[in-house]
Amino acid sequence: MSDLAYESLEDVEFPDDIHTTSTGISNEKLGMWVYLASDCLLFGGMISTYLIYKNRPGEIAGLSGNTHKVSEYFDIPFTSMTSFILLMSSLTMVLAVNSVIRGDLTRLRLWLTSTAVLGGLFLGGQIYEFTNFVVNDGLGFTSNVASSAFFALTGLHGVHVVVGVIMLLSMLAISFGTRIRAEAVEVVGLYWHFVDIVWVLIFTIVYLIP
Amino acid sequence: MSAAVTELDDDSPVNPGEHHTHGPTDGQYFKIFFLLVGLTALEVSTYWWDDIFNADTKKIAVPVLLTLMVIKFFLVALYFMHLKFDSPLLKRTFYAGMIIAILVYGAALTVMNFWSDSGTTHFNNPPIDPPAPFCADCPGG
Repeated sequence: MSDLAYESLEDVEFPDDIHTTSTGISNEKLGMWVYLASDCLLFGGMISTYLIYKNRPGEIAGLSGNTHKVSEYFDIPFTSMTSFILLMSSLTMVLAVNSVIRGDLTRLRLWLTSTAVLGGLFLGGQIYEFTNFVVNDGLGFTSNVASSAFFALTGLHGVHVVVGVIMLLSMLAISFGTRIRAEAVEVVGLYWHFVDIVWVLIFTIVYLIP
Repeated sequence: MSAAVTELDDDSPVNPGEHHTHGPTDGQYFKIFFLLVGLTALEVSTYWWDDIFNADTKKIAVPVLLTLMVIKFFLVALYFMHLKFDSPLLKRTFYAGMIIAILVYGAALTVMNFWSDSGTTHFNNPPIDPPAPFCADCPGG
């Protein structure tokens, strides 16, 4: 059978060959949304734990006792800048998704690279902030329960950003090789935006609310 | 914002035959981004409100911050994550996770007396003074 005839037959039999699920949504996309919904529970637990312990540094018998709250050392202007960087990376991510939908691979690569670089800058800021806490302020992961809760929450978010950057770089590499699927970029974008909205919550609840 | 349009893009050089759900255009994304930047700037400004207004502004700042946080959350979820334009099933899936998280951790915070938190080590319930040690020689001991 010639290629043309095969394609015609395929169009008749499988007019919608990507979305053959009963929901009309691809398994990858639905799977990502289910994962994100479950991640809400994970971050909810971490944020609640921080809220409960944030005012109780080093006073619980049997635990090591640095009596300083981690919030005493927050550098709000610096954290605001890193928040802005993450927000900007969300914009570059949606531009990447729009580019792949248009079939513009050059811009797709540009925006994916920009997003990964901005994610890297955010991580650099977080490493700088953590180093400051540990070296200059003497507040580490095990200094007190409040700092443990803080480092666990923001560190977990940082791990999510690292995974996101790896996914972005993978997408970039794929775009140079095989034919890239627009939906794959969209699914990576969903993950990246989720990382951004979790930071929206952390920035307000942990850093800005006194 | 334009309504969602789902089409079969057979001519796409990227992935022929794939469905694409079109959300906002690049220009609309920029508008949403600048709105988010403005809201973030307003959030950050609350850090200096006490100094600017020379008063304790916590009672106003906290509700303002929470409101701005919710607005930013939904702007990103609805437009950047395409929740407004995608299948209702995805909305339900995500909102279900979010609502369960809010209910579960709201209950946990309530149990821990978070809303009336005095910041003491004992979560608002100071321990009862321990009984005096047994003393055989003491009167009444």
